[in-house]
Amino acid sequence: MYCLARDAQSVWNSRRLLWVMARREVASRYAGTAAGAVWAYVQPLLMVAAYYLVFDVVFAMRLGEHAPTRAVGTYLIVGMLPWMAFCEALSRGMNSLLEAGPVLQKNALPPALFVARSVLASAAVHTPLLLALALAYAPQHHFSPALLCLLPLLALQWLLCLLWGYVLAILAAALRDTVQLVGFALSVGVFLSPVLFPLSMFPAQWRWVLWANPMTSLLTGYQSVLLGGAWPGMGTWLAAGLWCALGALALEYLLRRSRDQLVDWL
Amino acid sequence: MSAFPLQTPPVLDVSGLGKEYRIYPSPRSRLKALLTGRSHHQSHWALRDVTFSLERGQCLGVIGNNGAGKSSLLKLMAGTLQPTTGRMARTGRVTAILELGAGFHPDFTGRDNLYFGGSLIGIDAQAMRGLEDSIIAFSELGAAIDRPVKTYSSGMVVRLAFALVTAIEPDLLIIDEALAVGDQHFQKKCVERIDAFRRNGCTILFCSHSLYHVRQLCDVALWLDGGRQRAFGDTEGVLASYEAYVRAQDPAGGSADAAAAVLETPAHAPRTAGQPLPGQAGIVSVQVDNLDGASPVPLLQSPDLAVTVVAQAPAGECPSIGIMLEQAHGVGITSLTTHNDGVQPQPLGNGLWRARLRCPDLPLHTGEYVLSVYLFDSQGLVVYEEWMRCALFKHRHPLSMPGLVRLPHHWE
Repeated sequence: MYCLARDAQSVWNSRRLLWVMARREVASRYAGTAAGAVWAYVQPLLMVAAYYLVFDVVFAMRLGEHAPTRAVGTYLIVGMLPWMAFCEALSRGMNSLLEAGPVLQKNALPPALFVARSVLASAAVHTPLLLALALAYAPQHHFSPALLCLLPLLALQWLLCLLWGYVLAILAAALRDTVQLVGFALSVGVFLSPVLFPLSMFPAQWRWVLWANPMTSLLTGYQSVLLGGAWPGMGTWLAAGLWCALGALALEYLLRRSRDQLVDWL
Repeated sequence: MSAFPLQTPPVLDVSGLGKEYRIYPSPRSRLKALLTGRSHHQSHWALRDVTFSLERGQCLGVIGNNGAGKSSLLKLMAGTLQPTTGRMARTGRVTAILELGAGFHPDFTGRDNLYFGGSLIGIDAQAMRGLEDSIIAFSELGAAIDRPVKTYSSGMVVRLAFALVTAIEPDLLIIDEALAVGDQHFQKKCVERIDAFRRNGCTILFCSHSLYHVRQLCDVALWLDGGRQRAFGDTEGVLASYEAYVRAQDPAGGSADAAAAVLETPAHAPRTAGQPLPGQAGIVSVQVDNLDGASPVPLLQSPDLAVTVVAQAPAGECPSIGIMLEQAHGVGITSLTTHNDGVQPQPLGNGLWRARLRCPDLPLHTGEYVLSVYLFDSQGLVVYEEWMRCALFKHRHPLSMPGLVRLPHHWE
């Protein structure tokens, strides 16, 4: 893990710059708009409001008996918000090196900084939203201490995005088609996860496919905490840890192979 | 107390440096190479076995033809590229002027970009608050600093970027052909700032096709050819070898009537008159006395060579005028400038200046010669304009002998 440790060290050494860059990233996404970075928060909030009003208030749709909750809108919100955060962070992390090519070729900065910047910018937008969601759901569970698990779940999610975002960023630098393939995988991935349907509704013989989605374990964790007020099962932590470990191994392998050529490919 | 002076380590120490670019037949091959390490690729070595070191205060000029590896070397020195072989050690703050304005966001104001660009080169917000006013003053942007960068002209962007990257004097300054920044007035400021760094002891690595600037600014030169180090050492020695090489490579150099060939090419048609814009520096006219214009290559009908140059300079500035005399097929004979000779051109009013050069009893043997004229700032650092090979003439010496010049001499 020499390359990974070296990159982690360089990002840590540049942590002040990282924060400046992340703030700038959020600001630049909405540069020229009147509301500015407020839009980053408004869009997910509007989605949450739409889900709640359409599914729970207007149509009052209900899930089956084995679902973690009966209200469809309430269920969708808990899965969709982390999934949107994951998709955004992973996509931006994947594109970060390609977009930073001109800057990296003119400034002696570690490439890892740009991946970390994109993931941190997404985390800065979505973490407060997910924590606010916890506050909204907490009274239902009498402020159960299990809600504290949200913090390690979030930390694991951003670590997952950072590791796999960097892996995909290197692959995208080598082969631009990666961006298209991952875009497709993310749009299909929502159906291979417990975002739209509870795990119990998937056919038992195909349920294993869901675990090929790195977010499945974390989503079950969010659902346990926010919908049931319960501690996530050991499987959640193991699977999430495994995906992070796999990401770290893949990243180390790719960093070793691309070390002196990565910037040349951008 | 030690009897020996303390020896300071070199600011830049490069040993066996090489950079290989792998060229893959397709992106899929590149992915295969990344994943498996097995793929066909062509190796292009942009640099191989480059070794040199620079002490504090030295200025190195990197010269070579296009594709020689100059830019790759500078990017390696700046740390934006990783070397394939060799090692490199740098000490102190390194500033690279590789491409000015890269990283500026068009929707943010100049001031926002100043703070963000500063953070990228190691100037944090607190330090920037102290430097902000001097940077804005140097860039001459005034109130425009609070306008979005997308409303700037390209000149304003590079002025801001240059002012930013040179706001703090580095220990090692890397410059890639960046002396031509903005308009003439700003170019002069840029060159003066770089020259001030040099005088303060900053080590400079300077890549340029302008051999004049390399001569003026650099103590040592590095000649790269096809990625390999052809020569490194004293500027004059390296430049002489490079110039000899360029002449040997020039296909026109071997032609018996090269000058006529040059004259027949419309792009190289000689200039004798120009019209610089008001307030700008530029050459107005070049006149060689006593030329017989009847033949295609005019014959100098006087033993003396007398050249009159009229030039325009910005208000309040006395320019320097230079004349280079070469054989028609490109062998340089002499270069003379007013600033080196300690003379000033004669003011004609309205920003016009005249310099008249006379070479009595021109000590050249019979042959075809050509003059190039240069207009510099007063110190000879900024080249405002150059008219290359603008006056061709034939000279007949009554006692022509083999050789180029008839040196002042006496027999004892």
